[in-house]
Amino acid sequence: MKLNALSVEAHPARMERVREPIRAHSRPAMGTLFTVYLHAPGEARELEVLQAVFDEIDRVERTFSRFLPSSEIARINREAGQGSIVTDPEVFHLLEYAKDLSGKTEGAFDITIGRLTRAWGFAERKRVIPSSDALEAAEAAVGWRHLQLNAQWRTVEFLKPGMELDLGAIAKGYAVDCVLDLLRSLAVQAMIDAGSSSIAANGDFFSRARPVCVADPASADELLCEVLLGDRALSTSGVKEQSFTRDGRVYSHLLDPASHQREQDSHPLQVLQTTVLAPDSRLADGLSTALFLLGPRRGEAVMEQFPECSVFWACRGDKGDFCASIRWPQTESSTK
Amino acid sequence: MERREFIGMAAAGLGALTLGMRGCGSPQAVAPSDWVHLGIIGVGGRGQHMMRMMLRVPGVRIAGLCDVYESRIAEGRKVTGEQTPAYSDYRKLLEARDIDAVMVATPLSLHAEHVIAALDSGRAVYGEKSMGRTLDDCNRIRDAVRRTGKMLQVGLQYTYAPWYTEAQKRIQAGSIGQITQVYSYWHRNSNWRRPLPPGTGAEIERLLNWRLYREWSGGLLAELGSHQISFANTLFGAMPDSAMASGGVDYWKDGREIEDNVHAILRYPGGQTLQASFITTNRLDGAQERIFGTGGSIVLTHTEAIYYQEPWYPNSAVPPEMTIGHRLVTGPTYSAEQPYTGKGETPLKGEASNADLLACREFIDCIRTHRRPVADVDLGWSEAVTVSLCNHALETGRNIKLADFLAGTA
Repeated sequence: MKLNALSVEAHPARMERVREPIRAHSRPAMGTLFTVYLHAPGEARELEVLQAVFDEIDRVERTFSRFLPSSEIARINREAGQGSIVTDPEVFHLLEYAKDLSGKTEGAFDITIGRLTRAWGFAERKRVIPSSDALEAAEAAVGWRHLQLNAQWRTVEFLKPGMELDLGAIAKGYAVDCVLDLLRSLAVQAMIDAGSSSIAANGDFFSRARPVCVADPASADELLCEVLLGDRALSTSGVKEQSFTRDGRVYSHLLDPASHQREQDSHPLQVLQTTVLAPDSRLADGLSTALFLLGPRRGEAVMEQFPECSVFWACRGDKGDFCASIRWPQTESSTK
Repeated sequence: MERREFIGMAAAGLGALTLGMRGCGSPQAVAPSDWVHLGIIGVGGRGQHMMRMMLRVPGVRIAGLCDVYESRIAEGRKVTGEQTPAYSDYRKLLEARDIDAVMVATPLSLHAEHVIAALDSGRAVYGEKSMGRTLDDCNRIRDAVRRTGKMLQVGLQYTYAPWYTEAQKRIQAGSIGQITQVYSYWHRNSNWRRPLPPGTGAEIERLLNWRLYREWSGGLLAELGSHQISFANTLFGAMPDSAMASGGVDYWKDGREIEDNVHAILRYPGGQTLQASFITTNRLDGAQERIFGTGGSIVLTHTEAIYYQEPWYPNSAVPPEMTIGHRLVTGPTYSAEQPYTGKGETPLKGEASNADLLACREFIDCIRTHRRPVADVDLGWSEAVTVSLCNHALETGRNIKLADFLAGTA
């Protein structure tokens, strides 16, 4: 599939076209804006459902944010370099899941990237290039193989000095999964959207009949394709929101743990955005980051390990913009 | 305050943090005899949260779950990550021989029954706040602790928060002068209701939303205010002489029985006052305690303590421009009474830890070392009886003297 121009952003599509009663409620959390789209507004439970949803998102943030000193991840970052520490099953299982995903993605997805993301300071919108010494020190503290997890004792230990966890590439997806569990238990038809980058739905009303659009980044009003979620979750990774340009070079918050920004010296940024469909949101979230960094060529091999997933890359090459996809569902509007 | 003094106090605070780290580390290092197998009575939202905290303490396993609402068992097992034995009757859980200690996180009106039964079964107990709903509940729990010799830690977790203990130290050292007032807020913007699963009726509604019904709940004063009231009691070294309170179901008129806003004034023997405000229609102020002293103020939140010095107080030095030989310059009226909007100092920021986790560590450590916890039965009694006093004032609309309340003549 060839496209002339690209700008890709996933968001719940064309809600304005839908005549059925839908209400959207948004609240800032996890460094972005979470929005819940509810079917049948005015139902007696609406307020309670919303409160429960946002409480659950807050709970996930309070557990997995590296920025909140009282979070479990902040505690692990403080203590796991001094020896193994025990954590609760929920946190342990997500760390295990993340480490497994690192292995399957050739390390492109890596939650031990905390020192590096802190050095670049994208989350704080620093927009400065760290010194080479600072980068060298941060790089030395990255490496998923040095995150030691012991399932028998549920312990976590950093085998490299100065390591820090950053679950930014999976925590929002995990929060969406937790919210979906809650919505299912309450039998509420809803769509949940974490800053437009992680989207999932419960109930046929949204998942079978309300497509999600992948928008064209070069033209805010254009769409590249639409997709019905079904039972899958969607996640998009791109540089649009958190990047800056210095001397003609784009620096992105999506850091390759192996080579982070250096590769771009010889290869101008090629992948503009990656959208993934996966059975759950945590996988979609983590995989979209990894496949963004890997690009279509290296990503193809990685995707063999995820036969239940689909990916859509939007790229910019020497001969113009193009897209690539693997198992991406074809719809009537999937090409421009 | 001198900079040097601040640094010295911060160092003392770090010492307290180090103490708070006791019990962290690897479970492999915990001797088999030191493992603590917990039974949980009450696996609702708070119970599940505290289970996660307990499971972060090395050498802790959850060996039994008890709840009358079956869905909670599945949720609890998700938290433990295993097929933890489950009971619908707490007496059956207490009969289990592999349970060393018990955590009670049930509706307030059931605390006394569950805590006393657990103590009588020979277990140490972590009991959620408020310790008991009524004066009689509190007295019976205290008697049970004395009778059994077993340890009770009450879920007043901010007792262990480093920024709280540090603030207390500074206050005791006179860093903000003489404390005259504490204003505490716990302001939310929420109807405080939980959504009902499909197919459930009124009975489950009252069970899930027990906080809204008088049969089970002590209302905002108990569910939110107990931390702040306990802190004020500790700060002033006494229980209040008297309390008055006002409130009502004024906004969330949805069938609830407990007030959606409550305002209480507690007078302490030393002439200090706690003004406590709880609302459910605006969260600008969130949860905080504002401690006002003659030399400064401290604002305590759930994550930090912020320190402010008074710009003027009687012992301040004479400014140079007022000394002999200098002029006094006139100008527009000085807005001395404008609210202070500058930044305070947060010396422990970034070092804050999780108060719930610290409380759990303390509980497990006290079991292993046969130590009495800081948030012991006496602290819990003082807190819960004060809450009960305030609720009596709220219900009667009168200023209630503590002495009359304790004598049963209020």
